[in-house]
Amino acid sequence: MSSAKSPALTSTDQDALQSAVIEVCENAYFVFVETCDAPQFATLVEQVRAEGGRGPSGRWLHASVAFNGHSTGQVEVVLPERLGTWLVVSLLGLPADTTLQDNQLLDGVGEFANMVCGAWLSKANETASFTLEMPKVTRLPAGWAPDPTPTGDEQAYRTVVVNEMPLEVRAR
Amino acid sequence: MQTNSSGAAAMTPLNVLIVDDSATMRALLYRVVGLADLPIGAIYQAPNGAEALKVLETHSIQAVFTDVNMPVMNGMELLREMARRDEWQNILRIIISTDGSRLRREEARELQVSLYVEKPFRPEVVRDVLCQIASVDVH
Repeated sequence: MSSAKSPALTSTDQDALQSAVIEVCENAYFVFVETCDAPQFATLVEQVRAEGGRGPSGRWLHASVAFNGHSTGQVEVVLPERLGTWLVVSLLGLPADTTLQDNQLLDGVGEFANMVCGAWLSKANETASFTLEMPKVTRLPAGWAPDPTPTGDEQAYRTVVVNEMPLEVRAR
Repeated sequence: MQTNSSGAAAMTPLNVLIVDDSATMRALLYRVVGLADLPIGAIYQAPNGAEALKVLETHSIQAVFTDVNMPVMNGMELLREMARRDEWQNILRIIISTDGSRLRREEARELQVSLYVEKPFRPEVVRDVLCQIASVDVH
């Protein structure tokens, strides 16, 4: 959040962001979230790369939601397309082998990021109202993979495991 | 009051309007409403408040589920518009939003909102509360 930006990642913000991801995954998607350190994340990223030819694709999705109000900023989520598909199918109670249309996938992943952003903001400041912009979701280039390290301008950054797949979330 | 074989109160089927800019959330709410132990009539959908007003103008609606943050016309603007119209006073108003701030909840209370559900939510929570308030408020 720009009004409270700090060059150092605080444990309070980090915990709030992780709690937001856990709350969204457990309440809306009925899946547990595990914390994940950088080496473990890198191993899972490598697995996604190895799966490139299987499943929807080995590509990654980037979803961002900008917010305004008491403060301004954005929350970003990076996840493999296969996890995005799984999340949308799970949320809607569809058969596991459902093939989503592209707009369904991107809309659903955007909604996931929207919920994480809202949950994080609510935890950060219970009294402040905020406005969320429309989520923006893009498919990252083939061969791209996340480097699990903060870029330095985040207020909070976490890597987690959801359904045995890696997910990176940052707020800035 | 008579009840039908499924245990739902004998009542006029509810026509429901779901207002959310996310097609995914509309699909989820469509499923949740269908799970309710209530006689459901038609379920209409709109991607923003302006489109929702068009549905309200042309159809008999008993319950509105609306998001808050939407393009064109947001959920609070829709509810303020609904509050101005005498013929829409008895419609159940339910907010489903990521914004769970105290300010927004107070604003919703003033606009006759029966239920404020914060995302993420468990589908059965919405289903159960809908059953409770619909059986009391709508007949």
